[in-house]
Amino acid sequence: MPKRVAIVATIYEYLSHGQHIGDRLIEGYPWEGRWRKPDLEVVSLYVDQKPKGDLSAARAREFGFPVYPTIAGALRRGGDRLAVDAVLIIGEHGDYPTNDIGQKLYPRYELFKQCVEVFDKDGRAVPVYNDKHLSYSFEKAKWMVDQSRRLGFPMLAGSSIPVTWRLPDVDVPYGAEVQEALTVGFGGYDHTDFHALEGMQCMIERRKGGESGVRRVELLEGDAVWRAADAGAWSNDLLVAALSRSDTLAGLSREDARPQDLVGSGQLRKIARNPSAWLIERNDGLKTTLLMLRGVVTDFTFAARLKGRAGILSTQFFTPPEPNVTYSACLAHRVAEMFETGKAPYPVERTLLVSGIMESGLRSRGRAVDTPHLSVRYRGPATSQHARG
Amino acid sequence: MQQPAITRRRLVIAGAAAPALLAAQQSTKRRPKIAAIATTYHKYAHAQHICDRFLIGYGWNGAHHKPEMDLVSLWVDQVKENDLSRSRAREFPVMKIYPTIADALTLGGSKLAVDGVLLIGEHGDYPDNEKRQKLYPRYEFFREIVKVFEASGRGAPLFNDKHLSWKWEWARDMYDTSRRIGFPVMAGSSLPVTWRTPSIDMPYGAPVREALCVFGGWIDGGDIHAFETLQCMTERRKGGESGVRSVRAYRGDNFWKALDEGAWSRELMEAAMCRSHQLKPSRPGFNHVFPTLDAMKRMANDPYAYVVEHTDGLRSSIVALPGVVGDFCFAARIDGRKQPLSTQMYLPMPPKYASLANFFSPQVNNVEKMFLTGKPSYPVERTLLTTGLTAAGVESLYQRDKPMATPHLENVSYTAPKESTFWRT
Repeated sequence: MPKRVAIVATIYEYLSHGQHIGDRLIEGYPWEGRWRKPDLEVVSLYVDQKPKGDLSAARAREFGFPVYPTIAGALRRGGDRLAVDAVLIIGEHGDYPTNDIGQKLYPRYELFKQCVEVFDKDGRAVPVYNDKHLSYSFEKAKWMVDQSRRLGFPMLAGSSIPVTWRLPDVDVPYGAEVQEALTVGFGGYDHTDFHALEGMQCMIERRKGGESGVRRVELLEGDAVWRAADAGAWSNDLLVAALSRSDTLAGLSREDARPQDLVGSGQLRKIARNPSAWLIERNDGLKTTLLMLRGVVTDFTFAARLKGRAGILSTQFFTPPEPNVTYSACLAHRVAEMFETGKAPYPVERTLLVSGIMESGLRSRGRAVDTPHLSVRYRGPATSQHARG
Repeated sequence: MQQPAITRRRLVIAGAAAPALLAAQQSTKRRPKIAAIATTYHKYAHAQHICDRFLIGYGWNGAHHKPEMDLVSLWVDQVKENDLSRSRAREFPVMKIYPTIADALTLGGSKLAVDGVLLIGEHGDYPDNEKRQKLYPRYEFFREIVKVFEASGRGAPLFNDKHLSWKWEWARDMYDTSRRIGFPVMAGSSLPVTWRTPSIDMPYGAPVREALCVFGGWIDGGDIHAFETLQCMTERRKGGESGVRSVRAYRGDNFWKALDEGAWSRELMEAAMCRSHQLKPSRPGFNHVFPTLDAMKRMANDPYAYVVEHTDGLRSSIVALPGVVGDFCFAARIDGRKQPLSTQMYLPMPPKYASLANFFSPQVNNVEKMFLTGKPSYPVERTLLTTGLTAAGVESLYQRDKPMATPHLENVSYTAPKESTFWRT
């Protein structure tokens, strides 16, 4: 018997996360060299908004499931009891307001809360996947994770970056002593920074002792980034290593396709546009940095120095292009795996912590803030979870 | 086709005997001097990607790597408005532009004065023949280079980009000449050395029963890339490369009929397509669905395939599905293995998907190694064979899918190195 899945999405239009992840549970996805049809059946759908281009009705017609006007309706499939075996929550894309610190107020907490209300009332809970960060608010995010513990349902969340292909195919050796880590990302606040932070987190959580939590966050912008660089806030060779993994350098590379040593040539500071640096200090003393180098790259790269390892470990989190965006197949597989087996392949605490880092960073622009509430301790799985087979 | 005289002995892997000049060069420990001979040098031309990496360096093993050698001379056949060679020469004074190939190799003197040669005959305005082969003058350039080698009484390691020549006899002559004079040669595509998703190689000595490469099609110019993708994997099979008995093209209606009749395995074709990152959606509103056969027939714009029969019985094919697949994907059936082995040879291709064509980095890195050591990382026999396969495939296509016996390829047999040479670090 295939497991029955309800999809709860903000919107379902072409290339929205709801569409490309939802469709993979319906139509299958490439995995380990074959087209895998997961042992799942999408039986109901709820969409919060139906913009022009909405595909929810078309999907419902084609694949024979109803679109319900409420979340409870989708989870109970019109009856009076929970009637699905798993819930896919995709609270990404759609028209929602932005708050004073630049966070887009996607109603992930609200969507999730309504699912929990059904679980509570009906005395049964099922696995939930929550796309991207749990909530713009750490408090709300924490509540979400607490509910999964209270009711004992498996929960998975986050970005596709931790599970996509890597160029090269490397992972931080489990239990390695990480001395410093740095990630380079691009794009806007409360958006691609989340992906970059998850990319870094899935690597460093494998370090000796596991994740110890975050004690201090500082978000620097503009010239303050270069002042921090000059003051040695992060290691230059880690930045060089991360950029050496990029296929998307801007500046002269865009002009005439030449490779560049952007750090060595000094071009980096000339072409970066309003850069930001996230300085994140962990409870065990590990120093980690996310550099959002807008105008410099359009890919995600990572570098770390490990004790006892010559050279720097570095890689690119590979994001294959539209329309296939096959990184979402990597993510859909991990979601399907949890729905099929009832076991989350990696801990939701990763995303809880990253959600909290995001909020603290965006609230603290320009000054360091202590983050005692982010003492989120956990261990990642020893087995690598990124695409490699 | 007139057959060149070939011996039946197994071909010796290029560079197995390093020329004496290289030993002398290494003992002095000076930086090797490199010459580049190119058809054209503009943004996105192969010469730009390759020469720039020698001049500027490139990301490698987590650092900005600068080759331990100097690109000191350049000759370019076609200089047009979009030329970059002149501005590069101004920006990098170590590289001088010379008026002739001979001058580039002798640095204006009378004897060979460089320690390695890049022959990059890709891009530029050259005529096509009636078979849709682009008549790049690689052989002509090679002859000019060899004249200097012969007049100087010594050769130097040479890298030839892509296939050796559009014409088999010329390719064979290039190979034989390099053996006669005794200089190491590497050639071919970047596909064999670029990233793979997943990062796997053909297990060495595997009993491969069938293999194929699915790609987006491009007669001659793309065929060589697909054949190199295929060959770098199948050459690792049990017994090594045995040579090729015949090649046959299938196009249009013949293509679909041949697929239906199993001229190549549909299972392998679909396994390869499952490795694609550029599978065209067959239904509006869906971003990634596996196409039905009917959908493939509707979407494919002039599909074709070349099916190759190797002398040891292996069947290998390149399957061009323009309008369906946009990247190079590989699959093989191996005896004793339940699932096909499959992967994609990934090209970060500018300008759409990248600014840097970094698949040239592992190629340049391997060429650098040859310039330093005199030993090619992989055998030029691979590219001799893929050159012959491309020419035979194009010929079969031209002769309306006529099967082509390839006695000239029957003894292009060789053993591949055991160590993997694709980009993994």
